[in-house]
Amino acid sequence: MTIFTRRNVLAGAAVAAATAAHPGTATAADETKDLDAFVALSSALTGIAAAMLAPAVDPVQIKKQYFDAAKSSPSFDRLLQIFRDNATKPPEAIADVILNQSGSDVRYLGRSIMLAWYLGAWYKPETLAQYNSPKAPAGSPPADRVISPAAYTQGWTWRVAQAHPMGYSELRFGYWSEPPLPLVDFTGA
Amino acid sequence: MRLSCRLGAVTGAFQLVALIACSASAAAQQTPAASASPPGDINPPVANCNLTPDTNAGAKPPPPKVVATPVTAELLTSGQPCHQVVSTAGLVANDPLANLQRGFDFYSWLTFIALNAPADGKRIGQGPRPGGDATTKWEDLASYRPLADVMLAHGAAPTWGTRIVPETCKSLDGPGKIILTLGEEAFNQPFKSGPLIDQDGNYALFDILMNRPMFDYILENKLYSVPGQASFSEVIAFPEGNNPAGADPGRMGAVMVKVSWRILDPARDRDLISQFHTADALIFFPGPPATKTGPTCVEKKLGLVGFHVGHKTKFAPQWVWSSFEHVSNAPDQADVASRKLLTRYNFFNPACKTCAVNDTPQAPPPWDPDASLKFHTGYRSQVTRVNMLPPPVIAEVAELNRQFRAVLKGTVWEHYMLLATQWPTDFKSLTDPTGRPAPTYLANTTLETYSQGRVPLASSSCMACHNNATTRHVPAQSSDFTFILEKAQ
Repeated sequence: MTIFTRRNVLAGAAVAAATAAHPGTATAADETKDLDAFVALSSALTGIAAAMLAPAVDPVQIKKQYFDAAKSSPSFDRLLQIFRDNATKPPEAIADVILNQSGSDVRYLGRSIMLAWYLGAWYKPETLAQYNSPKAPAGSPPADRVISPAAYTQGWTWRVAQAHPMGYSELRFGYWSEPPLPLVDFTGA
Repeated sequence: MRLSCRLGAVTGAFQLVALIACSASAAAQQTPAASASPPGDINPPVANCNLTPDTNAGAKPPPPKVVATPVTAELLTSGQPCHQVVSTAGLVANDPLANLQRGFDFYSWLTFIALNAPADGKRIGQGPRPGGDATTKWEDLASYRPLADVMLAHGAAPTWGTRIVPETCKSLDGPGKIILTLGEEAFNQPFKSGPLIDQDGNYALFDILMNRPMFDYILENKLYSVPGQASFSEVIAFPEGNNPAGADPGRMGAVMVKVSWRILDPARDRDLISQFHTADALIFFPGPPATKTGPTCVEKKLGLVGFHVGHKTKFAPQWVWSSFEHVSNAPDQADVASRKLLTRYNFFNPACKTCAVNDTPQAPPPWDPDASLKFHTGYRSQVTRVNMLPPPVIAEVAELNRQFRAVLKGTVWEHYMLLATQWPTDFKSLTDPTGRPAPTYLANTTLETYSQGRVPLASSSCMACHNNATTRHVPAQSSDFTFILEKAQ
């Protein structure tokens, strides 16, 4: 059995196809709860604190863009329910349930969500599955789309690398002549 | 009036807000504190920081119901805030961002009122000119100094309060006239993106001014000259504004103002003039290299169309950025789509269906004006206001504008509106020196006409742009969110 970790998800391997479970119609209050749950499960999957992914005072609101992207998957409701059923477990255990114990549809949606947070791009779960199948095409799975201009700037992969995306940096003039700030300043861990 | 207040501090990655209860007397005008500041104190105590919060949410004990501070005439004499009084609590339940934004926008209106009050100490809108207009505080050399009078030729040391009248302007000079010295930054927009041409074919003109703490910091550290900048070995850090807290007195900190003007014809625009704050200006063309024309001087009546304030404060070392403009500058994009248009705008022709919108002049550069200050072709800017703010901010600002403009009704100032305030949500961030600004983008149709939008780095953001500011000295160093130091000679 393949063990799915953040490392090999980011490397872009995958298997199997998605199964269906259509998301229901949500009220605004339900959506707020779902959004909060989405951030919490994202934290478990990415290893980044929820307060870092979605600060309490957050002018960018990138979480909503990723939430909307993930919600388009028919497995989204099931993924959220699995998270809620396991929410009291340690993050690593939650990630294990989602990535290794809940079927391929949830597994690849979880991986798509991880890739969204790290790369700011949406990889369709079924594409990830296709690229991890015995008949996988050559190369890395292609992104369906960069989710938005803001998402391009918010990818956590840049922060984990103590760097910034090409063409965009908030750092000040001359930063390139100094060593990068410590990782903890970027990720809080 | 006595007011309860809070010091709001958005702190660190977890965005906690510290609320410190206090009460204070907000007097009519900003005055120095009774105790003399020590010699060399470039950020002296001020006696009457305006501590008015936008709601009672921070009152002690906590109020049973959060209500907005009434926008009444009393606020017109409440003075200038030394820093924002904001809170995560407020009118919107479970939305700290919205409540903080409203607090900052309220701060911006208080600042606008204080800075645009008559220089003689009267209440805003009670000046002697039509519409209660008057020379404002920021036009008074006792309070503010134009950039051109700070960054002098050959790196000469500037002096506070003195009026510099160029030789070619002396024959036109008279009481109450301001002097606007042209350089590229006075007729071309940021990054030389182009001039703004009004519907009469005149150039819009821009000017930058600073208050005394900012001036004194530049003077004390000799940052007005390239050699002075070269010999300055510290991190450039302008003084911060802070409200009184415990034994610490209030201080105003560094404030810079950037304004945009349109030229008014006293005869043809006779009916319009009462809708603008105006100034009788001597426009000085220094001659090459600053201007292709000159040295010469022309007299024009100017109407204020844009007003920016940058204020460095204790909990906003990225500065707080307030953007106002005249209500008839340009329509919103939505107004254009729905044809809900005024009959005339300063920078938009409702009758033109084929004009390129938010485009630079349809003529090759150079775009330098001659002494007529008329664009050399028939080109007129066709400006619309791009929707770049989150819808809740648009609604919140619109309501604040409605209330403040109602209080200013009957004065020229009822014709101005706040666009929004940009402020740092995480001012301590080490990895984002811009402090994760809210809103992410903010542009004034007269000052950032050609960079409105929502494209990272390309679209106008006060903090993201000013974060790149440096000294003129090479190797350059960061200049604490002001491009003023790039003008040193």
